[in-house]
Amino acid sequence: MLDTFEILTTSGVVLWSRSFSTISPAIINGLITNVFIEERTLPGAGIADDVSAANNPPYKHDQHTVKWTTSKELGVIFVAVYRSLLHLSWIDKLVDNIKTLFVDLYGDQLRKPHTTVVKCHFDEYFDQQLQELEKSAINKDIKVAESTAFLEKAPASVAGELRDEPPPLPGLLSRGQSKNNYNDLTSNDSSPARTPSGSRPSTPAGHLLTGKANPGGKTSRRARKAANTPTYASSGEESGAKKNRAAKAAAPKKGRRWDADGLADEDSDTPLDYSTHANDATSGEEDGTTRPGGMEEVDQETWGSRTKKGQFVLKDLDDQVHSILSSADTKKVGSATSGGLVGSSISAIGGLFRNVVGGKELTKEDLDKDLKVVEDHLLRKNVAREAAIRLCEGVERELIGVKTGSFESPQARIQTAMEASLKKILTPTSSLDLLREIDAVTSPSSLSLTKRRPYVISIVGVNGVGKSTNLSKICFFLLQNKYKVLVVACDTFRSGAVEQLAVHVRNLKELTTREGGVVELYQKGYGKDAANVAKDAVAFGAQEGFDVVLIDTAGRRHNDQRLMSSLEKFAKFAQPDKILMVGEALVGTDSVAQARNFDAAFGAGRRLDGFIISKCDTVGDMVGTLVSMVHATNVPVLFVGVGQHYNDLRTFSVKWAVEKLLDIKK
Amino acid sequence: MVIAKDWVLALLNPSPLGLAVAIVLALTIPLFLHTFIFRASGLVSLPSILLLGPSGSGKTSLLTLFERGANASTHTSQSPIAVECSLPVGAIARTDKYRSMNDPTNLTHKKFLLLDTPGHGKLRHHALETITNPQNLKGVIFLLDAANMAAGDEGLRQTAGYLHDVLLLLQKRMSNGTSKAPKEMAILIAANKMDLFTALPAALVKSSLETEITKLRVSRSKGLLDSGVNMGDDGEDNDDWLGEMGSKDFKLSQMEEFNIMVEVACGNVTGNANVEKWWKWVGDRL
Repeated sequence: MLDTFEILTTSGVVLWSRSFSTISPAIINGLITNVFIEERTLPGAGIADDVSAANNPPYKHDQHTVKWTTSKELGVIFVAVYRSLLHLSWIDKLVDNIKTLFVDLYGDQLRKPHTTVVKCHFDEYFDQQLQELEKSAINKDIKVAESTAFLEKAPASVAGELRDEPPPLPGLLSRGQSKNNYNDLTSNDSSPARTPSGSRPSTPAGHLLTGKANPGGKTSRRARKAANTPTYASSGEESGAKKNRAAKAAAPKKGRRWDADGLADEDSDTPLDYSTHANDATSGEEDGTTRPGGMEEVDQETWGSRTKKGQFVLKDLDDQVHSILSSADTKKVGSATSGGLVGSSISAIGGLFRNVVGGKELTKEDLDKDLKVVEDHLLRKNVAREAAIRLCEGVERELIGVKTGSFESPQARIQTAMEASLKKILTPTSSLDLLREIDAVTSPSSLSLTKRRPYVISIVGVNGVGKSTNLSKICFFLLQNKYKVLVVACDTFRSGAVEQLAVHVRNLKELTTREGGVVELYQKGYGKDAANVAKDAVAFGAQEGFDVVLIDTAGRRHNDQRLMSSLEKFAKFAQPDKILMVGEALVGTDSVAQARNFDAAFGAGRRLDGFIISKCDTVGDMVGTLVSMVHATNVPVLFVGVGQHYNDLRTFSVKWAVEKLLDIKK
Repeated sequence: MVIAKDWVLALLNPSPLGLAVAIVLALTIPLFLHTFIFRASGLVSLPSILLLGPSGSGKTSLLTLFERGANASTHTSQSPIAVECSLPVGAIARTDKYRSMNDPTNLTHKKFLLLDTPGHGKLRHHALETITNPQNLKGVIFLLDAANMAAGDEGLRQTAGYLHDVLLLLQKRMSNGTSKAPKEMAILIAANKMDLFTALPAALVKSSLETEITKLRVSRSKGLLDSGVNMGDDGEDNDDWLGEMGSKDFKLSQMEEFNIMVEVACGNVTGNANVEKWWKWVGDRL
C-alpha cells in the first residue's frame, strides 16, 4: 500500500498530505536535496516542467521508493512514498491524476503572491482517485476496453518505466509464442470449469494486483513465486502469465458470515474477492482467445454492475473528477494541434516582435539552435561532451515555457540560465575550510570527548598529473600555518618516487624552519604494500604528535582494475580524513571517466572528498575540466594549481571559473 | 521650386490622416509601455524582514507560524518565498509607540513581508543577494538550531561559517558608505528548538558562536588566496576581516561599530510555540 502522499511547494511548505503509515521526513528531504537541489540523478530535474511521474526516475531511500512529479509554473511537487517491496503499477497514474486535479482545483490559490496558505478540501478527491485506481488495477483486463478518456492513456507510458511491467493485455497475449505458453498454462492447471471449489479463473492480468490489494495476499507472494518458477521457464514477456499462475495456486479467500451466536459460518462459498467474481464473465472467453469485440460488451457490463454496487464514493464527485481529467486531456491534445494558417502567421509575427521586446514564451525549437551554440562554446572550453550536454539539457528543461523579460533576447536568457546552472553545479554543499577542519581534529574541544589525532590527507591520481608537486604545495601552505607535518611516501612502485619526495621535503624544511614549521619524511623504501606503509605512518604520526599526515600514492591508470582495486584496502587501512584527487586541466573528455573511477574505487561508503585541478596556468580560459569532473561525481574542487612554485596554489573560486567559462568581462 | 513648395505645404497642412495617426500613437504608446515594462513592478513596498540560517534550522516552519499562527509541516526549501504577515495583538510596532491608546489605526495590524530563503549550501546565493540588494529591508533574522550547537560539532561550524559570511557581507556594505546603504541594520540571532533537551541557552549560543567565529576569521585570514585574485585588480577585496581590526576575540558587539545591531534571543517554533521575544524584536523594527 501507499505509505504517504504529499503535495508541497518548492519553498518547502506542505500544502496537503495524507499518510497511511508514519515515515521519516528524511525520505522526502532526501528526495529534495538529492534530486532537485544537487541533481544527482537527472539534470534540471528540479525545474523540469510537467513530466509524467512515469518519466521521472523513482528515488529510493532505505526501504522506500518515492515517485514524484512537479508543476513548474506553480512550483508544486507531488510525492508518493511506498515500500520498495511493493510494485504498485498504478502509482504513476495516481500521481499524475492527483496533479491534474490539484492544479485545476487550486491553481488560482497557488498563484496568489505573498502567501503560503492554500485552503483545500482535497481528501475526498484523493480517496476517490485512490479507490478508482486500485479498483481499475484489480480489473486490469477490463481496463483495456474502458471507454473513459482518462483511463485510456495510461498503460503504454507506464509499462516502459516500471520494473514489474504490468501484466500483458489479453489482446497482446493472443499472439504467437505468448499465446502458446498461455494456453499450456491453462491446460496444465485445473480450469475453472473442472474445479468444484470455484478456483480463480485464468484471466491473464490483475491477479497479482489483487493479491497485493488484499492484505493477506502480500506475505505469501514470494513463496508462491518461488514455488512456481522452476516449472515454468519463459521469456520476460510472460511474466504476467507467470504471476497469474502463482496467484492461482493460492486458495481463494472465503466469505465469512457471522451468525447470531457469534460463530463464524465459513460454509457459504461466496468468495470474498469480488474482483475475481467480476472477472468470471471474461474468463470464459479468455480460453477461446482473440475475440476482442465480444469481450468489450461483457466488460462494459461488469463495469456497470460494479459501480451500481455502490462504492462509498459519491457519484457527483466521480463525475467532477472525470470531467476535470478528461478536459485536461483534451486541452493537451488541443494545444498540440491548434492554430490554422492565419493563427500561425500572426503568432510568427508576434514571435519576431517579442524576440526584440521580450515577453516571448520560449519553446523547444527556439532554444535548440541557441543551445547548440552554447554547447559548442562549452566544448571549446574543454568541457567534456557529456557534461556539456547535461548542462544544456538542464538549461533547456529550465527554460521551456518561460517568458523572457522586458527587452531581453532569448540568447541573453540562456546566458543567464547557463551562468546560474554552472554556479549551482560548482558551488560546494558545505564550506571547505581545510585549516578549520584540521584544527577541529587536532585540537578538539574538551567538551566533545574525542581524542587528539593527526589529520590524514591522501592524494590520488593518474600518472604524471602532479600528485607529488601538489602535495608539497599543500605541505608548504600547512607549514606556513605552523603545523607539524609528516609526509609519507606510499609510492613504493616507481623508482625515484621516494627520492623525489625527499627532495621536496628537504626544500620545504629549508624554506620554513625559520617560520616554525616542522616537516618529516616517512618512508619504507620500495616494494612494500602501500596500505600497510600508510597505516604504520598514521600510527607513527599519532605517536610523535604530528598535526597532519600527508600521504602520497602511486599514480595509477583509472581503467586498470588491478591497480585501482588496491585503493579500497588503502582507504580502509589509512582511514584518511580527506582523499583528494589531482586532475590536470589539460585532460579533455577522459576527465569524466577518471573522476568516476577514482570516486568509485574506495569501496562502499567512502568517496573522494575533493579535487585539486593542476596546471591551470597552462590552459588559459579552457578550464572546462573543472566542470567535467564536478559534473561526473558531485565532488567539489578544493584547490587549483596555477604555477610551478610552492606558493602557486589557490582555493577555488566559483565566480572566477564561471567568468572564464562564459567569457564574462569584468 | 514649385514642387518643393507643394511638398512643404502638404506636410504642414493640418490633414485629418496625420491627426488620426498622431492620436493613435499618443494613445497607444503609454499602453504599450505599460504592458511591456511596468507590468511587474508593484506600487507599495511593505517593510521586509529577511529569514536566514542553515538548512534544517526551522525557517519555513517559522514562516508558516508567523503567517498562520500555527506551524505547518515543511520540507527542505528550494526557492525563496515572500509572505505577507501581520503583527499579532501583543506586539506593537516601534512607529506606533507614541500613538494614543484610542487611535483607531492601532486596531489594524501592522503588515510586513517575511522573506524566507533556502538554507542548503548550493542555494545560499538567494539569501546573499537579498542582503546586498534589498528593498526596504528592516532587519535580518538568523535562525539556528540550538540543539545542534555542541562545541566541536559540525553543526556549530557550519552555522558559524554562514553567520560569518552574512556579517562580513553586511559589514562591507555598511562600511562602503554608499548612499544606498541604510543607516543601521539589525540582526536577530534566533536560537530555535529550545523545546529540545539538548538545546543550549541563548547566552551559551552567543559565546560559542563568538569563539567559533574567532577561530574562523583567523583561519580565513591565513588561508590561500582565491583563484581569481591574481588575475587583474588585487588589493581591493582583501579587507575580509570581520569585526574590529586587530582585536583578539570576536564579539558580536563589535559589529555595532558598523551600525549593525546584533541580538540573541531564544524560542521554539514547534511543540508549544514560544516566539514572543522574536515577535517583539520584529515589532521594534517596524
